[in-house]
Amino acid sequence: MSDVISFDLSVNGELRSVSAEPRKTLADVLREDLGLTGTHLGCEQGGCGACTVLLDGEVVRSCLMFGVQAQETEITTIEGIGSTGELHPMQAAFSEYHGLQCGFCTPGMILAAIDFVGRNPDPSADEIREGLNGNICRCTGYQKIVESVAAAATEMSG
Amino acid sequence: MSTTTWIGKSAARREDAPLIRGKGCYIADIAPPGVVQMAIVRSPFPHARINSIDTSAALALDGVHLVLTAADLEGIGAFPTLWRLPGQKHSDTPALAGDKVRYVGEPVAAVVADTRYIAEDALGLVDVDYDVLDHVVDTEKAIEDGAPVINEVWGDNIVIDYTFPGVNALGEEGDVEGAFAEADHVVSGKFRIGRYSGIPLETRGLVGVWDEIAQRLTLHSESQVAHLLRTELAGALGIPETAIRILTPNIGGAFGNKWDRYPEDILVSLATMRLGRPVKWIEDRREAFQATVHGREQVQEWELAVKSDGTFLGLRGRVLSDQGAHLHSTGIGPAWVTGAVAPNQYRIPNYQCQVLGVGTNKTPNSTFRGFGGPEGIFGIERMVDKAARTLGIDPAALRAHNYIQADEFPYFSPAGGVYDSGNYPEALSKALEAVNYEELRAEQKTLKEQGVHRGIGIASYIHVSGFGPSAILGMLDYYTGGYEGSTVKIDPHGKATVYTGMIPMGQGTETTLAQVAADQLAIDIADVRVVWGDTDQTPYTGFGSAGSRSNVAAAAVMKAIEEIKAKAVRLGAQLLEADAEDVEYVDGRVSVKGAGEMKSLSLGEVAQEAYWGHHIPEGDQPSLEATYVYDPANFTTAFGTHIAVVDVDVETGQIEFVKYVVVDDCGTIINPLLVEGQIHGALGQGLGGALLEEFVYDSETGMLLTTSLMDYLLPTFTDLPEFETHQLVTPSPSSEGGFKGMGEAGCFPAAPAVANAVCDALAEYGVEVDQTPITPNRVWRLIEEAKANT
Repeated sequence: MSDVISFDLSVNGELRSVSAEPRKTLADVLREDLGLTGTHLGCEQGGCGACTVLLDGEVVRSCLMFGVQAQETEITTIEGIGSTGELHPMQAAFSEYHGLQCGFCTPGMILAAIDFVGRNPDPSADEIREGLNGNICRCTGYQKIVESVAAAATEMSG
Repeated sequence: MSTTTWIGKSAARREDAPLIRGKGCYIADIAPPGVVQMAIVRSPFPHARINSIDTSAALALDGVHLVLTAADLEGIGAFPTLWRLPGQKHSDTPALAGDKVRYVGEPVAAVVADTRYIAEDALGLVDVDYDVLDHVVDTEKAIEDGAPVINEVWGDNIVIDYTFPGVNALGEEGDVEGAFAEADHVVSGKFRIGRYSGIPLETRGLVGVWDEIAQRLTLHSESQVAHLLRTELAGALGIPETAIRILTPNIGGAFGNKWDRYPEDILVSLATMRLGRPVKWIEDRREAFQATVHGREQVQEWELAVKSDGTFLGLRGRVLSDQGAHLHSTGIGPAWVTGAVAPNQYRIPNYQCQVLGVGTNKTPNSTFRGFGGPEGIFGIERMVDKAARTLGIDPAALRAHNYIQADEFPYFSPAGGVYDSGNYPEALSKALEAVNYEELRAEQKTLKEQGVHRGIGIASYIHVSGFGPSAILGMLDYYTGGYEGSTVKIDPHGKATVYTGMIPMGQGTETTLAQVAADQLAIDIADVRVVWGDTDQTPYTGFGSAGSRSNVAAAAVMKAIEEIKAKAVRLGAQLLEADAEDVEYVDGRVSVKGAGEMKSLSLGEVAQEAYWGHHIPEGDQPSLEATYVYDPANFTTAFGTHIAVVDVDVETGQIEFVKYVVVDDCGTIINPLLVEGQIHGALGQGLGGALLEEFVYDSETGMLLTTSLMDYLLPTFTDLPEFETHQLVTPSPSSEGGFKGMGEAGCFPAAPAVANAVCDALAEYGVEVDQTPITPNRVWRLIEEAKANT
């Protein structure tokens, strides 16, 4: 406990001060120190993608890096996407097309999908499957997620 | 007449709004002030005697508050095995191992510290002195003479030897010997079903909060069956049930694995009671592989007696079910279900099946989506295809020849069950039509000439769902109830609140129950609130969210609302000064028949009167609410046929999907979109076990080798095909509303459909797939062995 250090993180457009051990993962800092529990931990091994956040717009697994390493970056978590009454098209599509069941993978999945559609605005079903292959969903069998992402891509480019 | 504005509609899920925003509340998100964290010391050995445990170094670490070992558990009980078939041996699963550990991952000590980081630091400081014992992790070796005995009180490693006598519910007994004597052909097969499990993306976890002043424990838990947990926890801790409240947050997947009771339920409760501070435990992924129950794993041997024309005469088999080191919450229940479903959709008058539960030095094998059913369907569906090849009959035609026909229901199975309804030939026809079967067969020949090995695999299944009239569970020595209760309250403004013991874990229970209630009351679905996840508020559940129980819970809601409507009519008649027989409940109003607007009251107006209580009819009480506990009259039998079309690369053993067609029938459908979601999800898990997923144990060391998502392969986006789903609707005559449970159905036919397709693709080699998962290396080896033998 003695080696707690203080540092700043820019999360969802807001500068936040953190006091945490240097060994604390970014996921734990987000969840425990900043109260952003929408970032989920499915394996803490980098294997499932549930903890996906965006760092300067790029997809990263927040369980595989330390909080202190995220200084000087712009972090986006699921809490930074959409708002009440104004959902992001990806969030709306996941609900409309039943792209989620238990919802545990969903925040990471939505962030990964937003990143993917940003790079590929008009993806085929196969491209969506390839593009999101690092994120695991245990509930849906994926088909409804593919439909959700395809619909959101159309909406976002329209 | 009830209208069906909502039943049958793909109503939007009310569960979604918080979840897509990251605003759900899962167990790990719960952090009461002052919470401390638990971590568990687990056995590194498959079988060892514990000589001593020294906790002093761990306790000396700054930030550590408590270390529990078996010595601290005096007076603390263990959770019972609920399914106790006659002859099943009993043994307690202790919360912490006492003198012996029996599998890698068994809890040995629990450490509580300020943070999880410190608690995990302290794990290495707990010094456990072990004497390693001989182990056995192979199912068949465990029952050989001289095998190490896992649990001394068992005497040997056979925990049960149970034989289905082949007598149906009418008392008609088959003649298995006679059937085999009469047969033109006897087809035999031996199959190894791999060990895999639900692997919910959210691991298990608990937060216990002891209120010292009220002397009451609040346990935040992901249990699928909170009331049962409360009952058993009270028993184990030796405190009254009234002193325990179980609260359920969002659940990140459960798949049966979270139905069982676990040692950690006791450990977290004890720790918070001893420390007087909230205690939290979140299982890590490595622990989840070792310590959350496994599923499946059987070695099956079957013989099918057939006539030359394809008629099935008899089926007999032996199922070895690898139970692991302890009989967990459901005992050998899943293996019993394997024996109960194996005759499947076929007329097989003569049946016998011996089920042996086998102890091994592995994680306990218990509840997992499908609950023994998929294993039984794998066995019979592989046998049917083997018979088809032996007889030179098309596998679709052989199935059609032996199906129970639509006019034969209720059908009394030789395994003892009663099938309520179905139309098996129609499901097959629809599936064959969907894949264009004739054309596909022709195309297969052409492709073969081009060197493409395409295979078509058919698998039909039954899924016994809505588990249980309670009396039948009693006959099976299953110490749970088969009922579900629901309380429905209409408030003075006419809005409804539904209380259910069911727990949503992704399947959309909250939405479907709201649909049912809105329809029954003929009110807007927005005016229905569903309350779940609090044992202080919700009715006791017999079985909880498992075994595809939404149908039973929905029926309870319907019956409670029937009572409310009857009361509203009685009260309305009094207020409208009419005879009750002349008053009806229609469109959310209580009205005098044929009298129009003047003689009519809204539900809200009647409800307000009900709560004022000024004009309550004699024999009634004020308020407008009802509780109904619905115990189903029979099991429901969902069914279907799936067809997998695959290409097999004979150089690498790689399997590629060309098509996957599904025809399912789950009776009356409440929400088609959610049903499709359940079918897809269960299929994903069925295909995972068919192709990829396996807990691998090293027989030399007894170690579990698959303890990360890099070793244990969950299906990814690119591993699963696009599913083409079709629905038949044969309403169940034995369940309220005609619903059948179906959340597990997709698990059943997935593996045999793929296995049959692979065998079909490799027919020229005579390959018979006898093991799951069907990995490329296994397929490649089968091909190479076949080549070597010719």
